[in-house]
Amino acid sequence: MLKSGFKSGADNVVMLHKTVPQVAQELHACIGCNECLLACPAATESITIDVLNRETLSGPISVPVARFARSCYQCGACVAPCPVGLHRDAMMMWLKVRMLRSGWSE
Amino acid sequence: MAAINQRERNNGETGYNWPFFVSGEGWYKRFLVIFLGVSVGGVFFVWYIQHSNDVSPDSIAGYTYAIIGTLFLLLAAVSYSLKRRSHKKKTVGQLHSSLNWHICFGVLGLVFLFLHSFGNFNPRTGTYALYGMIALALSGMIGRFLDRLVPRLITGEVHKALTVMGDDRIETISQKLQAIVVHNTQDLHSFAVVPGEKSQDASTSMVSLSGPVSSDFSFIHKDQALQTPWDLAYISLEATPQELSLEANHYRFIPDKKSALVHPGALMPGAQEHISELQEVEQAMQRELFYRYIIRYWRKFHILLALLTLALTIWHLVYAGQLLLPVLLHR
Repeated sequence: MLKSGFKSGADNVVMLHKTVPQVAQELHACIGCNECLLACPAATESITIDVLNRETLSGPISVPVARFARSCYQCGACVAPCPVGLHRDAMMMWLKVRMLRSGWSE
Repeated sequence: MAAINQRERNNGETGYNWPFFVSGEGWYKRFLVIFLGVSVGGVFFVWYIQHSNDVSPDSIAGYTYAIIGTLFLLLAAVSYSLKRRSHKKKTVGQLHSSLNWHICFGVLGLVFLFLHSFGNFNPRTGTYALYGMIALALSGMIGRFLDRLVPRLITGEVHKALTVMGDDRIETISQKLQAIVVHNTQDLHSFAVVPGEKSQDASTSMVSLSGPVSSDFSFIHKDQALQTPWDLAYISLEATPQELSLEANHYRFIPDKKSALVHPGALMPGAQEHISELQEVEQAMQRELFYRYIIRYWRKFHILLALLTLALTIWHLVYAGQLLLPVLLHR
């Protein structure tokens, strides 16, 4: 009924954000190879992919993960190296939205 | 205070504030390198102009500055690009460190090439190359600023485009809108429908009720409303759905010329609000896309400027070589 006028999927222009069910699906599909973190120019300290995956969707966010989310600048360098074609930038975006909302509720 | 600490323990880190700065050991190291480089170059510059008569870009000091500046710029250009594209085993944080060195070498290169000019900004190849380098360094600085600002703007827009539970708001609003339309269409079906007007929209059907009502009910089908005998004894004392809706502020059962019900879409209470909400979400998504383009294309712009600066520098080197080579060959 309603068309937003945005392309998605394999098209050139992809909306950055994904819904929580999509993020959950991608997190579930993550094989934990760490390639996204290795390709990230914003990651300053060593955080593990399983901690990042665990804290992305729900629950408390630890200081290193929050620091990483704040320094991430959505350049998309993490997407290309993923061997299973996941979108870490979209996962990070949900983490940022969570942080933004939690900051507002304080 | 204890309550705040307890809450922090329960909720973890909160907030996505804009003035965020990561300071670490690496940052201090690079700042120290820039400070030392600029200090050494500056002190030598001051000492040289006080003790020498030849203060031009093609003096010995000028050439020294040019060589050092070019080396720094080459290091800035090559180190990060190669590190990013290399397939060697990297560790987490290595690229960030490499990016910081890229900035450090870029700043040092610009400073040394600025000193190489010795204040000569004649419209020659060297000046154009220097302008290119200044533009390149500025685009890098603006890029770093955008890296901080734009993701926060994107997050704000995504916050608008997703529900509290993280679902697509467009989908949710569309479903609500669909439910309103279905609900109001069903309400209208309880009225007598004139044959041939079944496909009319809700507003038109309601407005038609305000006209003179025919007493001839022969066209009414058997399965439609007003089938029962029209007798007062059959009138129920219970409120009909239409009467219940009278409680709503937006609902006026008998529309007149002044009534809002005569306007198209008046029979869809809440629909307009949902449509405007939908437009807001769409605008938020458009802005998100725009910010995404800024991040993507600013990098491309920076790379283009780097290529342009490289071309201008090569042009300047060729020009300088044409002047230098005959002098060197005659010695």
